[in-house]
Amino acid sequence: MLIFAASDKGGTGRSVTSANLAYHRALAGDDVCYLDFDFGSPTAAAVFDVVDARQDTEDRGLHAYLIGEVSEPARIDVWSETEHQVLRFPPPGCGRLVLMPGDVSGGEFATGEENLRRCVDLLMTLYYEFDLVVIDLSAGRSYAVDMVLEATAQPEMSEVTARWLVFHRWTRQHVGAAASLVFGKRGILAGGVDRGHDEEELRNSIRFVRAAVPDPESPLWSQVSPTQSAWMRKTDGDLKQLASNHGIGYSQVLGSVPLEPVLQWREQLITDEDVLDSQIANEATWQALNQLAGRLTDDKYWEQA
Amino acid sequence: MTEAVFQETTAELRTQSVPLAHLSLELGHLYMEDFEAGPKRLGEHFAEVRIWVDAVRASMARRSRRPRISTCFLIDDYFTRFSTPAELIPMVLKEAEKAGLVIDYLARESACAVADRIDLAESVMHRLVESPPPGSYGSRPPVSQTGWLANGQRTPTMPGPALSKAKGWEPPQETAARNHSVFMDVELWSEKDGRRLWSCPFLAAVWQLARLGLLRHLGEPVLVPKEWQGEDFPHDWDRLDPLLRLTDTKVPFSAYRTCTLMPNRFLAVEDAVRLVLDQIDVDAGALKQVEERSAAEGIPVPAAVAQRATYVFYEEPGDSSGAEET
Amino acid sequence: MTAAPGQPARSVLACGEVRTCLLPSLQALDRRAAAQLLRLRADVDVRISERPTMYVLSPEVLTGVDCRLPTSNGSKVRAVGTVAARAALTEGRLLQSTAYFSLPAAGPDIRRPWGQYLVRPGLVEPFGKLPQQAAAEGALRGAGRGELDLGMIAEGLLAQLRRHALLDRRVPFKSSPTKLRWVARREPEGERASLVSFVVAEGGLRTMELRLPEHIPAASAAGICEDLALHDWLLTTVQHMLDNSRLGTADGPSVVEALQPVVVHLLHLWMPRAHVDPALGHLWDVLEQKPGFSRQWENLSRRIRDRLALQAVATPNQELSAR
Repeated sequence: MLIFAASDKGGTGRSVTSANLAYHRALAGDDVCYLDFDFGSPTAAAVFDVVDARQDTEDRGLHAYLIGEVSEPARIDVWSETEHQVLRFPPPGCGRLVLMPGDVSGGEFATGEENLRRCVDLLMTLYYEFDLVVIDLSAGRSYAVDMVLEATAQPEMSEVTARWLVFHRWTRQHVGAAASLVFGKRGILAGGVDRGHDEEELRNSIRFVRAAVPDPESPLWSQVSPTQSAWMRKTDGDLKQLASNHGIGYSQVLGSVPLEPVLQWREQLITDEDVLDSQIANEATWQALNQLAGRLTDDKYWEQA
Repeated sequence: MTEAVFQETTAELRTQSVPLAHLSLELGHLYMEDFEAGPKRLGEHFAEVRIWVDAVRASMARRSRRPRISTCFLIDDYFTRFSTPAELIPMVLKEAEKAGLVIDYLARESACAVADRIDLAESVMHRLVESPPPGSYGSRPPVSQTGWLANGQRTPTMPGPALSKAKGWEPPQETAARNHSVFMDVELWSEKDGRRLWSCPFLAAVWQLARLGLLRHLGEPVLVPKEWQGEDFPHDWDRLDPLLRLTDTKVPFSAYRTCTLMPNRFLAVEDAVRLVLDQIDVDAGALKQVEERSAAEGIPVPAAVAQRATYVFYEEPGDSSGAEET
Repeated sequence: MTAAPGQPARSVLACGEVRTCLLPSLQALDRRAAAQLLRLRADVDVRISERPTMYVLSPEVLTGVDCRLPTSNGSKVRAVGTVAARAALTEGRLLQSTAYFSLPAAGPDIRRPWGQYLVRPGLVEPFGKLPQQAAAEGALRGAGRGELDLGMIAEGLLAQLRRHALLDRRVPFKSSPTKLRWVARREPEGERASLVSFVVAEGGLRTMELRLPEHIPAASAAGICEDLALHDWLLTTVQHMLDNSRLGTADGPSVVEALQPVVVHLLHLWMPRAHVDPALGHLWDVLEQKPGFSRQWENLSRRIRDRLALQAVATPNQELSAR
């Protein structure tokens, strides 16, 4: 299965959350590949703690592949190349976790027939190889989004299950922007239909993920004044209403990830050790990520709303 | 090593050999304009050709004591259809005879596209291996998509990446240039109403390969000459055999080398033919047979296929400008 | 000019890369479909062998190159010529593509007319003298940017075949492709071919060095390398499936579900040296002794059969048939 991770804007936690989802699935035994299609600002190497390996693959990443300069994009085996103490010792029986980095010097580029063909070839090859392929796309209605919409509309990809996660933060602006990214005039849906996607089918393969959602009941806010607390509850309620009005209400949401201090400070994978041993991360975050990871392939959450 | 006991015929590749002459001498191409100008003009062509035929025979006699030379003639029925075989062929034969020439083999041009239901041109197209410009490290340029074949790198038309410096016109470059380039770009086919029309140089390249004994289909010879028994020629070009043997000559149609006699206005076309021939990966089995047999006869062929074809370009008799404008 | 026109230049080194993957098709292809898939040229037959396993081999296609050779010591050697590529399908199930070429000890300092290279398919000529050791090591290391890239040629052919309209583009199970890079150093005629090394590296990469007497064509070397690559792929793939935690802890029908594809699609594919040049078959012997390719395969097959047998005992009949 292919999972496309999109977001309306930067800073939505798209990359870090989708990387964590990939990690959870690999722990559970799936062979997972994570593609950094965030051309221009690739960050995945930092999230997986493979910065040194990343340097070695400079100029042989996805960008170089798509423009035809290398035969295949560089692969980084996260378990064996990470500098992260915990990741280096994955539990026995877990699946493979492979990162395909972007190129630091890459940047966006114009689309063309050849690029498209290579993109389709790559997605198909990975689809044959991995249980789950997570593709992290540049924010907004980017070139990366256009390219994969075009690629997945090709007849040779018709048998491939592709699902979209649209990440947004839990604010008025982000809710509106996320809805517009999907349903807007130049949104994913319209762009997909233009390229030959079936509207209903595409709509049904898109779900929203609310990231960095503050829970008014969380102990984080136990020190706030009653007025502040009441305001938070009210705002949260208003946002839910707003989301629902925008067509991205409860039924369209695959899950939420609570506001996690660790992720606010540093984009990283949250390991069970962070939660259980050092306890720097919240149990709730681990749970949410695990739940979300499970729902990626659980058809129950992808049935027609 | 002993021969294996168990064999599977489908597991082996075999290339049948074809009989080979020393030289295949082409006495001319007949296009509509030549025909329209009347038998007299054709006669003048043959009279001119005759002189060069004698020269070619003299040249061959220097290489071999008993040179085997077969002559052939090609009529265009591919680009324009005119007259009928019944009307045209006797006239051609008569004018040749008047000039003291004998045409052993007669072919029609459409046979270079499709002969005996085999798509010769298509097969040859799949054998194109483009000459790689320096810097080619394994990415294959898709010839079949562009329909053009060059002898070097074209002037770049695509704008580079967004941030690269905008440049003015850049010259094309011939890959094998010596000091300066002679760049050539040849159209292999065009598409019209979903039908592919092969270009004249491309069909002529197929024609050269046939004459050089280098075409095979699934290991079998193609464009095998049929014998003409003196019967009337048909009234429809499609009913004329692709390649006919008109005389009782024992000299085969295909040969180690070819020589083509033609008016000098075909120079550009034939240069294009050489460009195409220079980039075709011909059947390895056939290539080996020709190489070994010619060497055994003491007249080894040049390694490169294009080098095996020679030409005489002569000035057209009379005022040719009128004919060219039709 | 080094070689007389038309004379095959003597090669001192042959290099190649084999890619092996599962054919993206739910069903294995039959003989006719396999032949259609690998018919890379309309005018040349594919080679089909049905015993002891069905093996279909495509005609070769050429790619022109003019670039630097990969070298281990950084020496810059420009080379021009053609790389041959071919594809093979075993039992309608495993697809392989190989790109390979031979190198003579030296070549002219200028580029010849292209037609002269084309009459020597699969030969790439260096400009000047070939640094043999560095070129052999470079070929095993793989291409840097702008260097002769066998992987790109092999992968290009594989991608073209996987796009073929004949395939339903569905796989019965997930699996990783492997790549095997090989070099063969030429030995004087009369010597016996030998295997110098076979290295299993990370990321599905294998490298292999052999010594090849002069009279054995490079295509035969490609054949033995394909055979070894295919069997190495089988070991790698089945081992990976058995290692998975889902299988380790699973019980009941999910075990059957996970192992069923192995039984249906892979177990019968083990057939070492089935389509290898008899002069090279003995190269298998070294690997059979250590680590013991066939021994490992027997062990893996037994584990799978035992797992399934246990499952059959534990699962009441109706439960299985209800699935």
